[in-house]
Amino acid sequence: MSAISELSKLGGGRKALTPQERAARRKENGRDNRAGYLFLLPWLVGLFVFTLGPMLASLYLSLTDYALLQPPNFLGLDNWQAMVTDSRLHQSLKVTFIYVFVGVPLQLALALGVAMLLDKGMRGLAFYRSVFYLPSMLGSSVAIALLWRQIFGTTGLVNQILQLLGVEANTGYVSDPDTALWTLILLNVWTFGSPMVIFLAGLRQIPVMYYEASSLDGAGRWRKFTQITMPLLSPIVFFNLVLQIINAFQSFTQAFVVSNGTGGPSDSTLFYTLYLYEQGFTRFNMGYASAMGWLLLLIIATFTAINFFASKYWVFYDD
Amino acid sequence: MELSRRHILAMGALGATGATLAGCRRGGGNEGGSGEPGASGTLQFTWWGNEVRNANTTEALDAYMEENSGVTVEPQPGEWASYWDRLATQTAGGTAPDIIQMDMAYISEYGQRGALLDLAEYGADTENFIEGTVGSGIIEDTLYGVNAGINTPTVMINPEIFEAAGVDIPDDTTWTWEDWHDIAVAISDSGEAIGSSAIISNDAMFSAWLRQQGKELFVEGNQIGFTVDDARAWFGMQQQWSDDGAIPSASQIEEDSSKPLDQQDFIVGRTAMSMIWSNQLEAVETSGGSERQLLRFPSIDGSAAQRMAWYKASMLWSASATTEDPEGAVALINWWMNSMTAAEIELAERGIPPNGEISAAIRPNLSGAQQRVSEFIEAIEPELADTPIAPPPGGGQFGTIMARHGNDMLFGNASAADAAQQFVDELTAALA
Repeated sequence: MSAISELSKLGGGRKALTPQERAARRKENGRDNRAGYLFLLPWLVGLFVFTLGPMLASLYLSLTDYALLQPPNFLGLDNWQAMVTDSRLHQSLKVTFIYVFVGVPLQLALALGVAMLLDKGMRGLAFYRSVFYLPSMLGSSVAIALLWRQIFGTTGLVNQILQLLGVEANTGYVSDPDTALWTLILLNVWTFGSPMVIFLAGLRQIPVMYYEASSLDGAGRWRKFTQITMPLLSPIVFFNLVLQIINAFQSFTQAFVVSNGTGGPSDSTLFYTLYLYEQGFTRFNMGYASAMGWLLLLIIATFTAINFFASKYWVFYDD
Repeated sequence: MELSRRHILAMGALGATGATLAGCRRGGGNEGGSGEPGASGTLQFTWWGNEVRNANTTEALDAYMEENSGVTVEPQPGEWASYWDRLATQTAGGTAPDIIQMDMAYISEYGQRGALLDLAEYGADTENFIEGTVGSGIIEDTLYGVNAGINTPTVMINPEIFEAAGVDIPDDTTWTWEDWHDIAVAISDSGEAIGSSAIISNDAMFSAWLRQQGKELFVEGNQIGFTVDDARAWFGMQQQWSDDGAIPSASQIEEDSSKPLDQQDFIVGRTAMSMIWSNQLEAVETSGGSERQLLRFPSIDGSAAQRMAWYKASMLWSASATTEDPEGAVALINWWMNSMTAAEIELAERGIPPNGEISAAIRPNLSGAQQRVSEFIEAIEPELADTPIAPPPGGGQFGTIMARHGNDMLFGNASAADAAQQFVDELTAALA
């Protein structure tokens, strides 16, 4: 308050103006706008040069046979037609969909469960919160993916423990087509920390009096959860769901490192982005890779739109 | 008045941005290159490698700069895994390094797409090269790369395991593919180790086996030189090896293929035999901690003279087609291949030097392992056949495609016939 009035004195106009009048005049001059645009300039340059420009370029390239080392030739919709019959592309879609539709719900359920445990207000809460949050900071790193390969390898930690328990175990889980994808889903579930922190914040927003009132009415734990927690938390659930689905569709590093960039064994971890990368950078089919990029954009946009549409029926805003 | 001031402001900002961008471009591109060969200029020099090689290479480049004052060489070391992504991006952006360490798998990819310089045109000196070593860099009459070191496929064995298993080391001048199988089974049965690492997706072994039947991996005109039947026979043979326990399980094979050299089954003593390139002997012994032995790969007829061996370039030196100083780039490559200064620093780290005089001169300086490699390379000279042509564009994918379908079969998800058909179909499509 006082700072603003001090500032208005500094202006030193012919006659004293209220801050509101002053603002109005400035707006008339358009000086605000100019300064605003000037400050925005670095961001605008970034948007046009590094985001919109490349996007438009890739839209054009998706219609060409651009091979990275040679200038592109226009092909029309050939790349899109090729995608219809590309069995590895279909495999990569299948892998990615399983990953998204199994991995994301499991991850969110775990995140919510742990958040509710932590919400009870235990001692050392900050410590536990950090411990659980840590994996999500590391989860998509190369180091963790390498560690994962060790843990689930033939002579890895999991098999060592199983052997201690007397189980004959010498399959490498990351190198068996039946289990490889599940180790990656597990890796994703393990990085539940970031949605958990958001859930925790959401849980803190729910007024305690609702629970107290429902206790008086004789509501049990389950009833409190379904009738109070879930509805009031639904915007947060929605937010996490949208975010994690988008993230999961774009997963790359884990599969790249665990399979050494091949999507193996037998294409069982061939994520969509991994295949896109292979087409673009190891096969030099940059035109095809661009078309694949746009398909991914369409898929993510569709799922986000469906999410927003469906949210009308289950997300409640308490206002 | 207001409007024009805003205009000037915007123009100024845009101008500044433009200048910045232009600056970036210039900085990232090829600087210098006055046009005069060997005069003053900056050459960018890129390679993939390991710590030893990085140290050698930097030392050699420093020596070159000392001998040629006025030339600045900017080293760009890299790792195999990310090297090709970076090179592809740089080439696409018109900022490829002047001198490029190239691999046989990618040379025609880059060469035939016009990204590499014809070295012969700018005076590449391969006069003293041993016969059969210049050809690897020539594609359709153009010298796109100079052989940086001689390499040859071998079957490397771990004599300690043979001894422990009570199995005799075979006579490598008369052994056959069946012998390889039988010996491997005998070792596996002894329980000391698994007999052999898998070779199902090893392009060098598949190539050797094909050549002994008068075929090739690739033939001129960007075609494959074998049929689905050949691939089926190869896959069938490997399935047999797997069924008999000569090689590890499918999941172990898959896992082994994604490990760095120093952790691979053969190196750590989990298998007794493996196909290893000759120039890796020293690295294998250093990581494995015990002496290994080089054997000739087997033949179908049981005669070393018929095994169709070849000298492969361990890697090549190429220059960018867009270099501003082609003479300077080729001069550096010539120095690298033909001067004693470079050879004494580099020794046989990139393979035995293809220049006969140089390789004879440095032999006394070589380590024990490298001397054995050098002797091996010399000993097999009478058994050499033509050098296989470089894989055509798309052919760099050979090993990956073959591994996927071969392992699919070993996992029991496809028959040998299906795997062979799919492998050939996909490879053919990749070449097209």
